[in-house]
Amino acid sequence: MVFNWREELKRFDFFFFGICTAIFLIGILNLYSATHAQGVGPEEGLYKTQLLWFGVSWTIGFVISFIQPKNFFRLAYPGYLGMVAILVLVLAIGHVGMGAQRWIGIGSFKFQPSEFAKLAMVLVLARWYSKASPEQDIGFRELIIPGIITLIPALLIIVQPDLGTGSLVLMIFFSMTFFRKLKWKTIAILGVIGVVLSGVVYEFGLHDYQRKRIITFLDPEFDAKGSGYNAIQSKIAIGSGQFFGKGFRRSSQGALNYLPENHTDFVFAVYNEEHGFVGSLFLISLYMILFYRLIWLAMNVNKMFDSLVVIGVMAIFFWHTFINMSMVAGMLPIVGVPLPLMSYGGSSLLTFGIGCGLVTSISNSRNLF
Amino acid sequence: MFGEDDVVRSHQERADMVFNLVVACFALVLARLWYLQIYKGKQFFNYSLENRLRKDIVRAPRGMVFSRNSVLLTHNVPRFDAVIIPQYLESKEETIQYLAEVLGMNPDSIKKTLKKFQGQARYIPVVIKKNISRREVAVIETEAHRLPGVMIETFISREYTDKDAGAHVLGYISEISQEKLPKLRERDKYEYKLGDFIGQAGIEQQLDLDIRGTDGYQFMEVDARGRMKRHVGSDDLYMGVDNKNPIPGNNVRLTIDRDVQLAAYHALDGKDGAAVAVDIETGEVIAMVSRPAYDPSNFSTGLTSNYWGQLVMDEKRPLRDRTIQEHYSPGSVFKTLVAIAALEEGIVNEKTTVNCTGKFPMGSRTFHCWKKEGHGSVDIYRSIKESCDTYYYKIGTQIDIDTIHKYATLFGMGQRLGIILPRETTGLIPTKAWKKKRTGVEWQKGETLSCVIGQSFVNTTPLQLAMFYATIANEGKLWRPHVIKEVFSSTGELKKNYEPELIHQFKLSDSTWRMIKQSLYEVVNVPGGTAYSQRGKGIQMAGKTGTSQVVSFSADKIFSKCENNEYRFRHHGLFAGYAPSKNPKIAFSVVVEHGCHGSSGAGPIAKAMASAYMNKYYPSYQNKLIGQEKMTFKEVIDDNINNPVPMIMESNPQNYYDEKGVQIKQWTLDKVPTAAAPVAAGDGE
Repeated sequence: MVFNWREELKRFDFFFFGICTAIFLIGILNLYSATHAQGVGPEEGLYKTQLLWFGVSWTIGFVISFIQPKNFFRLAYPGYLGMVAILVLVLAIGHVGMGAQRWIGIGSFKFQPSEFAKLAMVLVLARWYSKASPEQDIGFRELIIPGIITLIPALLIIVQPDLGTGSLVLMIFFSMTFFRKLKWKTIAILGVIGVVLSGVVYEFGLHDYQRKRIITFLDPEFDAKGSGYNAIQSKIAIGSGQFFGKGFRRSSQGALNYLPENHTDFVFAVYNEEHGFVGSLFLISLYMILFYRLIWLAMNVNKMFDSLVVIGVMAIFFWHTFINMSMVAGMLPIVGVPLPLMSYGGSSLLTFGIGCGLVTSISNSRNLF
Repeated sequence: MFGEDDVVRSHQERADMVFNLVVACFALVLARLWYLQIYKGKQFFNYSLENRLRKDIVRAPRGMVFSRNSVLLTHNVPRFDAVIIPQYLESKEETIQYLAEVLGMNPDSIKKTLKKFQGQARYIPVVIKKNISRREVAVIETEAHRLPGVMIETFISREYTDKDAGAHVLGYISEISQEKLPKLRERDKYEYKLGDFIGQAGIEQQLDLDIRGTDGYQFMEVDARGRMKRHVGSDDLYMGVDNKNPIPGNNVRLTIDRDVQLAAYHALDGKDGAAVAVDIETGEVIAMVSRPAYDPSNFSTGLTSNYWGQLVMDEKRPLRDRTIQEHYSPGSVFKTLVAIAALEEGIVNEKTTVNCTGKFPMGSRTFHCWKKEGHGSVDIYRSIKESCDTYYYKIGTQIDIDTIHKYATLFGMGQRLGIILPRETTGLIPTKAWKKKRTGVEWQKGETLSCVIGQSFVNTTPLQLAMFYATIANEGKLWRPHVIKEVFSSTGELKKNYEPELIHQFKLSDSTWRMIKQSLYEVVNVPGGTAYSQRGKGIQMAGKTGTSQVVSFSADKIFSKCENNEYRFRHHGLFAGYAPSKNPKIAFSVVVEHGCHGSSGAGPIAKAMASAYMNKYYPSYQNKLIGQEKMTFKEVIDDNINNPVPMIMESNPQNYYDEKGVQIKQWTLDKVPTAAAPVAAGDGE
C-alpha cells in the first residue's frame, strides 16, 4: 500500500491534538507563573524543559497516529510482556527517587516505567475483551484472566511503592470492564469485597507515610505534619482566587512557597488562585469536551478493540484529572497524581501524547474502507 | 450472529453511563470549588492577603555527652542571629540606620550585605549579624515597631567543655551542604533538611542518629510585615494545624574519665602525639588524647572558612585522631611481643644469653645495637630492661615472621579492634604471603631482623599498643576497646548499653607471663632500666620504652644525638605499659612525635595518666606502696591479692579539674618526690 500524504491528511482527525494542545498551553503559562517567583532556585527554567518535553511527546504522538490500529492489536501482548519485564527490572535496579524505586535510568535519561504501564494495560485488556466472546456480559468467570493480567503489573507498581499509579491501573481496569458490560450483580459483590480488602490492606499493606496521608485526610487533627498543612495551604490558594482570580502571575500562596510542589501536583491550586472560579469553569469545560468526544468516538468505530482502546485512554485521562483536582481541593487524600497536560513532568506528558496518537489513529481509521 | 459494529453499538447504554459518571464527578469538583471560591472566597482571600501562616522548624537539641562520672563534656547553648527579611522592609533607610545603632555596626556594611543577596527571593532572611548578645536581642524585640522586617533567628550552638582536650573522641558537627544532602539522605535513610547539622568525627559522627533527636515545628500566623501575630491555636480554618514539640536527642555517657583525659592532655602540652589509657579488665578507654587538636566549638558557631582552611592545610593534620587513625612503628615497644613469641616457641628460655658487642653481622649487612659499645652478656630480663637490640637480632635469625604475626594477632595488633569510632585503621604486622602479594618479592631474612625491633613494615596504632599491654597485664584476655558506656534518653531511660566484650582469650605458660612482667617492672624500677627516670614512690609503673626512626640514617649519623637533628627527622618516642606494676588496673601507650626518647619523651605522659587514675579511684594505693617497700616481688603480689586496695565508687568521684578545665587539686601521689636519678642514657632503637 502506498502512503498517500494527501489522503492521510484529508481524513486526519485534528480534534484530539488540538484540544490537548490548548490545555497544554494553559498549563505552560500556569507553570511559568507558578515558578517565576522562586528567584534563582532550581525551578526557574522548568517551563523550558516542559516545552522541550511537549515537542518530544507530540512528535511521538503524531508518528503513532499514522500507524494503523490493527498494529496496536498485534503489539498488545508483546507490549504487555515487555512492560512487566521492565517493572521487574525497576524493582531490581531502579533509582531510588523520593524514597521509592520508581525511576529507571538509561544514560543520564531517567523515566518512570509505571507511567507507560497504563497504556500497555489499555491495549492488552482491549485485545482480551474484544476477542473473548465480545457479545457476552462479564461475570466472575470472565473476570479471572483479565483480573490476573491486571494484578501482575498493579502489584509490581504498588510494591515500588507507588500506591497512586497502582490504584490508577486498577481503576482503568474497572472502567474498561464496566464499559464491557460488567454484570451489576458482580459489581455489587466486588464492591463488598473491595471494602473488606481495603480494610485489610490499610491495616497490613501500607507504608507508614501512606497510612498517615489517609488518616490526615479523614481526620486532619491527627497529624498536621505534611498533608494537613499542604491541604490547608492549597485550600487557601484556591479559595483566595474567588470568582475572577487574582490574575496572571499574581499568586501569592504559590509564589511565597507556601504551596508544596507547586509545579507538579499542585498546579491546579495555583491556576485557581490566579484565574478563579471562571478560569476553572473554562478549564474543566475543555476537559469535558475532550471526554465527551472520546466517548462519542468509542461508539462510532466498527471494531470492539478500537472502542475499548478509546475508553481505556479516556479512563487514563479522566482518573488523573478527577483525582488530582479532588486532592488539591481537599476532597481526597494527597496521593501524588499529576494533572494531565498541566503538571510538570516528562513521563506523564509523553503518556498523554501517546494516548492522543492512539485515539487519533483510531479516529482516522473510521473513514478507511 | 451480530456484525462487529453491532457489538460495539450494543455498548451504547454503558457509554452513556460512563459519560454521566464523568459529568457527575466534575459537578462534584465544581461544587467544591464554588464552596471554596465563592462561599468562603472572601475569607480565604483575606487570609492569603493579610495573614500568612508560617511554619517554623523547632530544632531538637542534640544529646549531651558525659564523662564516665557524668561530668558534662558536650552540650548546647542557644545563640541568636539578627536577620532582615527584605520583603518586609518598609522604610529601608530608617530601619537600617536604627538597626546599625542597636548592633553597633556601620549602616553601609548592612546595606552591602543586603545588596549581596539581592538576587535571591525577597522572603528569604538575610543574616546581618551572627551571635548577638542578649541585650541586643532584648532591644530588637522591644523596639520591633521601629524595625519592621528585622527578626531574630535562634539557633543552638554546640559547645565542648574542654575545647580541644577531647576533640578527637567527641568529634564535631557541621552544617550539611546542599550538594551532600541527597547523598546523605540515601546513605542514612533519614530525611535531613537543609540547615541541619551532622556529626563529622568521633562520637558526634558515630552516634549521630542517636543523639540528633527529632525536630519539631511550630506554626505562626504572621502579618504582612512578617511579624508574628500569634501562635496558631484552634480556629476553624486552621483546624488540624498543630505544633509539634521537638524530641531532644539521646544523651551519651562515655568511658572517658575527664580528669585522666585532662592530665594526659596537659602532659602533652607543647608536643605532638597520642596518649591512650584503658581499663585492663574491661577494655574501657579511660583517656584518649591526640595532639595537635582543634576546638570543635568553632564548627557550630558558624565556622569561619579561615579556621577550616588552617586545619586542613596544617601539615601536622590536627583533624586526624592519632590514637586510632594513625599508625607508627612501635620500635622497641614491640620487643616484648617478640620475647613472648620466642619464649613460647622455645627459641629462648630464662637461661639463654647472647653476647652483645654492639654489632650484629648478617650476610653483607651489619645491624647495630643502639648502644655502640654493646651490652655484653644479656639474658631475657636484661634484653627488655635495657632494650638490647642484639638479643632480638639473634632471635630474628631463628624465628619465622609468620610466627611473630601469629602472636601479634593474639595481642590485637595488625587488625581493627572494633572500637566504636569512625575510621579506625588496622596498622600492619607483615607476613611472608603479604609481602609477596604486595611487592611480588619473597620475604628476606634480614627483614625479620628489622621487624623484631619494631621497625620496617611493623606498624601499630597507639590504641593497639595500649590493648597489647593490657593483654599482658591481664594475662591473655583481649578485650574490645570501647569509649561508650551507655546511651540514654533525655528523660533518663536507658537506650543502649555497651557491656565489655571479650575478643578472645588465650593461654601462655605461667613462666612466660612471670618473666615478661618481671622484666617490664625492671624497665622502670631497677637501676639501668631504660625508663628508670620515670620511677616514682607515688606510682609504680611497668612498661617498655621505644623510639622509632622517622627516616633511616647513614651509619655515621646513627649515633648522633637525636636533639641535634632537625625536628622533623627526630625519632618518635614511645612508652607503653601498665600500672601499678604488681596489681595492674590500667594499661597505656604514649607516642610523642619527634620526642627522641621513650622514657623522657613519652614516660611523663604515661605517668600523669597512671597517677591521675590511681589517685582518683584508689586513694589508699599510695599508702599501700609505702607499706610494700621492703617486700619482695612475690610477697607484694600476694599482699595485693590478699589485701586489695579498695576502689572508690565510680559515681562519687573527686574531681581534680573544675568545669573550666583548671586543675583545682594536686595529685597527692606527687607529694612523694622521686629521688634524683641519672637520666637513662637512651632507649632501644
